[in-house]
Amino acid sequence: MTENTTTAAERETAAEQTAAEAAVAVRPKRHINQQKLQDNLWGWAFCLPLIVGTVLFIYIALVMALLLSFTTYSSSIHGDVWAFLGRMFTGEEDRFGFTVFEDLNGADPFRWYRFVFTDTAFASRPSESFSKISTMGATLFNTVFYLVGIPIGMVLSMFLAVCMSRDIKGGNFFRVIYYLPCVASTVSIVYTFRNLFNNSGVINTLLNAQINWFAPEADGSMYGVAQGVDPFWVQGTVNKCIVIIMNVWKGLGGTIILYIAGLSGVNASTKEAAQIDGANGWQIFWKVTMPDLYPVIFYNIVTSVIGGMQIYAEPELFWPTATGIGGSYDGKPNLFTSGYVSLIWFWGLSATTAPGNATVDFDKLASAQTSYQSLGAAYGMILAVIIFVLTLFQFWLDKRNNS
Amino acid sequence: MENVQTNPASEEKKEYSSFRYAVGAILAFFGFSSKTHRGSKKRAKLVADIATYVVLLLGGFLMVYPFWWMIASSFANTSDTTLSGQVATMVWWPTNALPASTGTVDMGLFYNYRILFTEAMAGTATSSNGFAIGYTYWRSIINNLLYSIVPVVVGVITSASAAFAFAKINWKGRDVVFMFLLAAIMVPGPSIMTTQYVMYVSFGWLAGAGAPNAWMTLTIPGMFGAIMTAFFIRQFLYGLPTSIVEAAKIDGAGYFRIFCSFILPLAMPAIVAQGLLSFMGCWNNYMGSLIFIPENSLWVNLPHAMTIVNEHYPSNVGPVMAGAVMSVLPIIILFAAFQKLIIGSLMLTGSKE
Repeated sequence: MTENTTTAAERETAAEQTAAEAAVAVRPKRHINQQKLQDNLWGWAFCLPLIVGTVLFIYIALVMALLLSFTTYSSSIHGDVWAFLGRMFTGEEDRFGFTVFEDLNGADPFRWYRFVFTDTAFASRPSESFSKISTMGATLFNTVFYLVGIPIGMVLSMFLAVCMSRDIKGGNFFRVIYYLPCVASTVSIVYTFRNLFNNSGVINTLLNAQINWFAPEADGSMYGVAQGVDPFWVQGTVNKCIVIIMNVWKGLGGTIILYIAGLSGVNASTKEAAQIDGANGWQIFWKVTMPDLYPVIFYNIVTSVIGGMQIYAEPELFWPTATGIGGSYDGKPNLFTSGYVSLIWFWGLSATTAPGNATVDFDKLASAQTSYQSLGAAYGMILAVIIFVLTLFQFWLDKRNNS
Repeated sequence: MENVQTNPASEEKKEYSSFRYAVGAILAFFGFSSKTHRGSKKRAKLVADIATYVVLLLGGFLMVYPFWWMIASSFANTSDTTLSGQVATMVWWPTNALPASTGTVDMGLFYNYRILFTEAMAGTATSSNGFAIGYTYWRSIINNLLYSIVPVVVGVITSASAAFAFAKINWKGRDVVFMFLLAAIMVPGPSIMTTQYVMYVSFGWLAGAGAPNAWMTLTIPGMFGAIMTAFFIRQFLYGLPTSIVEAAKIDGAGYFRIFCSFILPLAMPAIVAQGLLSFMGCWNNYMGSLIFIPENSLWVNLPHAMTIVNEHYPSNVGPVMAGAVMSVLPIIILFAAFQKLIIGSLMLTGSKE
């Protein structure tokens, strides 16, 4: 898509250049340079704010995250980050006598990465002495579980988009109605859904069931499983489904509009030709419409997967870490529902729990309320790599499909 | 039934069982052709239209119902916890809808809203509801307006200027810079949120008790413009003829003049649409406030404040639902007023991809 636009841009600029050359053939040469100078000057000037913003808040932040993830930085212990990063290159020691990579356990640039992969937590009450599970594995599993909503949403929105792009009255009205959830705030929606799925709420009334969608069972486990008997990936399945239902409901409108736009771009004459050749509606849809829609669908999948891997707010609002509902017995994010990003926030920003002296030891400098931004950065770097690999994989699939 | 024609030829040729004949008649009524009857195209379209309406209306009901529930539940009498438990069971309208009274005191129709506006978010020296001293509901609205108007208005103009440079000016390094900026959207926000946090700390934006400068974290970065906004406005500008710029240049107008008096007015539909979309995003920005603004600050925004209210009124859903309505309502009104522009802009995005 970008390639198309750039080639269009190149063609346009080429046309401009030839026109300009024709125009300046009679003019003195100095004038061209003046014009070029103006172009270059103003081109950069107009872009400057966006370039500064992007470089400062995205690229520098990214490089900083990469560098910090090898150090022991915590803003509450070390203060100014620039001075700290400077010491990374000079090798100076801080007021405690440590270099940036060092603590009482010695220098270990990869301590956080080791921590990410080895950190475990109880999936049930510690007193019941069940085995611990990997926090990274559990939250990544949940994140991928939530991606199930993408194909469901795509099929539903494709169906509805086809319905809406029929020649009916009030198509625009439906577009507005279906887009409403997209503009509403996630917090409001979550609080509404939490009540809709209440034990005695609308959904249970309609289903005539007593499904415990939210609260833990009496023994502290998530819905419908025996604590400590069932493996962790069975626990919380029903709970995770609410998040999927809500995300499908919330995202439907945007996808529908994308598909309607795509459908209106489908070549009408090809459709007519197929109709004359005796193809029925189903065949036309699969053989004519779908190939034309493919770029829109691909764009939608890529953006949804990138967005879906970053899920944080919805499960966290449904099952706040602070309340200690099933799976967060160590005070860590709920292992049965939280997305991966909850770990970045939990270790890197929320001042609740320190990683402990086993990982970083400043001889009691770190209190229980110390959050390590460099640990959050290490989690973030892994997330960036995962998302990058997933995106590359999708583009590879796309390329293989096209050839 | 006048559209339905029986097929006499096939009737003569072959005897069909009465069951087949009946099925054929029913199918024909819905416009489908079969061996016994021939359906009419007009009837088929009518039936398909009705089916479409039924599907869309059912789906539309599912889309609107949670909003209705949100509004209805905010009128439930939740003046004490035994009453607020009943909110959960309501389907259409709370059985104990306001106005209600506890004992002899009339609570008024807007009891939940009154609680929300007066005490739910009011931080005083004696209150223990998690809010900073001096925080009120209106403060959250002012904060939200600040966080959504200032960065959006400034940011959309800086984005538009960058889009103008990319679409209409031929400068050295343009394509490289464009790809460089576009690559930045590959960087996931959560990956860099901890470093953005320490960066803002080092700028002094989060210094001091209660972080009096915390508003900068949610306004200043947005003022530099957004890449996606610039990208969409650039797409729109490609649709404008370059001859406008050329003509203005020949008339002696500088690029700044051209941008202010030609590009901005001409690209206004795209700019306004993108601005409205970013406004909605900023208004609902829960993550930003959660990450950067400490809970005990006066600069907490509305969605974040709602979660704090929820934390301190866990069993009393009334004020929380009233807060949900109050945060959704302005956005819905804004969207309803500009729906044509916004959906048109989104459609343009879809067709361009």
